[in-house]
Amino acid sequence: MKLLVCVKQVPDLESRFKPDPSGQWYSETDLAFRINEYDDYAVEQAVRLREQLGDAAELTVLSVGPDRVVEVLKKALAMGCDRAVHVQDPAPHLKDPWQIASIIAAYARSQQYDLIFTGFQSQDRGSAQIGPTIAELLGYACTTTLVGFSFADGVVTATRELEGGLKGVVKMKLPALVTCQLGLNVPRYPTLPNIMKAKKKELETVPVANLLQEETRIATESFYAPEKKGGGMVLEGDVTELVNRVYAILKEKTPALRQ
Amino acid sequence: MDFELSQDHKVLRDSVRDFVEKEIKPIARKIDEEHMIPDALVAKMGEMGLLGSYFPDEYGGAGLDMLSYAIVVEEVSKACGSSGVLISAHTSLCCGPIYTFGSEEQKKKWLPDLNTGKILGCFLLTEPEAGSDAGSLTTSYRKEGDEYVINGSKIFITNGGYRGTGVIFATSDRSLKHKGISAFIVDLKSPGVEILRNENKMGIRGSYTTAFAFDGVRVPAENLLGKEGEGFKIAMDTLNGGRIGIAAQALGIAEGAFERALAYSRERKQFGHPICENQAIQFKLADMYAKIETSKLMTYKAACLKDQKKSYTMESALCKMLASEAATYVTKEALQIHGGYGFICDYEVERMYRDAKITEIYEGTNEVQRVIISKMLLQ
Repeated sequence: MKLLVCVKQVPDLESRFKPDPSGQWYSETDLAFRINEYDDYAVEQAVRLREQLGDAAELTVLSVGPDRVVEVLKKALAMGCDRAVHVQDPAPHLKDPWQIASIIAAYARSQQYDLIFTGFQSQDRGSAQIGPTIAELLGYACTTTLVGFSFADGVVTATRELEGGLKGVVKMKLPALVTCQLGLNVPRYPTLPNIMKAKKKELETVPVANLLQEETRIATESFYAPEKKGGGMVLEGDVTELVNRVYAILKEKTPALRQ
Repeated sequence: MDFELSQDHKVLRDSVRDFVEKEIKPIARKIDEEHMIPDALVAKMGEMGLLGSYFPDEYGGAGLDMLSYAIVVEEVSKACGSSGVLISAHTSLCCGPIYTFGSEEQKKKWLPDLNTGKILGCFLLTEPEAGSDAGSLTTSYRKEGDEYVINGSKIFITNGGYRGTGVIFATSDRSLKHKGISAFIVDLKSPGVEILRNENKMGIRGSYTTAFAFDGVRVPAENLLGKEGEGFKIAMDTLNGGRIGIAAQALGIAEGAFERALAYSRERKQFGHPICENQAIQFKLADMYAKIETSKLMTYKAACLKDQKKSYTMESALCKMLASEAATYVTKEALQIHGGYGFICDYEVERMYRDAKITEIYEGTNEVQRVIISKMLLQ
């Protein structure tokens, strides 16, 4: 059984973001990068399935981006993926989700994966389009925002998060694609011995031009910090008075106390 | 010359950082207050591979290098200096000499349990009357049949309270001075090994600092490390490598305090603006950062030299001296930037201030480091 997990490297969200000179995206200077949080859940779930299936399965991890993304591939290898694919693209932020999904689908089509895992969205762009678009391009079944996963007898059983605290259960036959959400699992730490072993695993490099066939359909016009709003309210007085005023404000300005 | 960490080292650093954020940082204050690193944390550090980073996998290690080890100790010490020294003393001072001077049988017997953290290691050199002057130690050994019998006392033994494996130094004849000293691997659960006390300390309170008595402790002859009379050489070589670990610990403590001071200086408002807008605070931050960066470069350089199997005696003395003095300076200024809050335990910089001081003292006082450096300059 062939498994694929797609990961993206994103800036640490606690960074101080500034627009790049073009004003269309953020400047990478001084940013620290890490694996997209939801992709970490995807890797963990894929590795668990790989462990469940044993040597009957092979798990590939793929990332599109400049050389720095090899760091997240190595992390995924140290977590238990078998091999890595680096689709080399010095400027993936200039591509729209349609193009990125097409690139991944082009690679995946040649490999005939049975099951593909992705994060449900990236933390930087947050379009949540890549997973479902890959599934559509490949003609795979797709379920999004997983908070539960199991696999038996060729059937994926996925628990999805719905609105309003509800959950739903979906069963899918392979081939399929799932996108992973917070709450699905607790990703393992890559241990030092596994970081060492990962150095010996295969890392395939593919120039993005070999896979890119689609034109961009969306362009990011500008990237800017929203204007600062006025400062917060500071309330002073005794506790009883404060409680009443906070209660009144919450009732008037937020849905927190409405029934 | 490339000052960037390799991608593999970055992966390692980020993994250890995540581990520290979730497993150590939240309990660092508790470790200090309760004078105890929980066994569960030691077990997790073992599973993570933090206790055998640079030894080959055939001996249960992770197979990484000295730079990786320095990064591990640094990252752990950013959150908890006690946990940092546990790793450093265990790795550099116990696994280190067994790996470097041990026979194949000794390595196969002792290293796997040490490297995976099942057993913790320590280094038994210092005595009440033999500190910097280690050559004057009085713990004695004599050979009886196929055993050595050890008598004497040892103090300030990091990790001693775990009663794991120790590398102990003893003399056959005090009149031979350095040349009479031999090193032995000792199981600290052996009959005759007595813990006199675990010291109550100013800092690194979660780390055991133990005083031992050895009363007729019998060690199999096969536990002799190297040859008889080589003990002093083994001790000096071991401390040489150990200084990189302590430099990394000091560096981590400094970075941990700096991170908090920088953030606090941006948040704390006095006279209507953040205190980081005052030049008095800005100059402090610049000086602190300069000392951290200098220490980091020297620590990584010493580790890289050891990895390249080049001489690193000078650099290990330099990095230990620079990083420990950076740690005491940076933690002092970090506390000052926090003002009165810095003196309150909730803000953690007071713990770092207390933890930093020992790094100027152990693994060779900074006065000894200056002796080493100047001797090498003048030889």
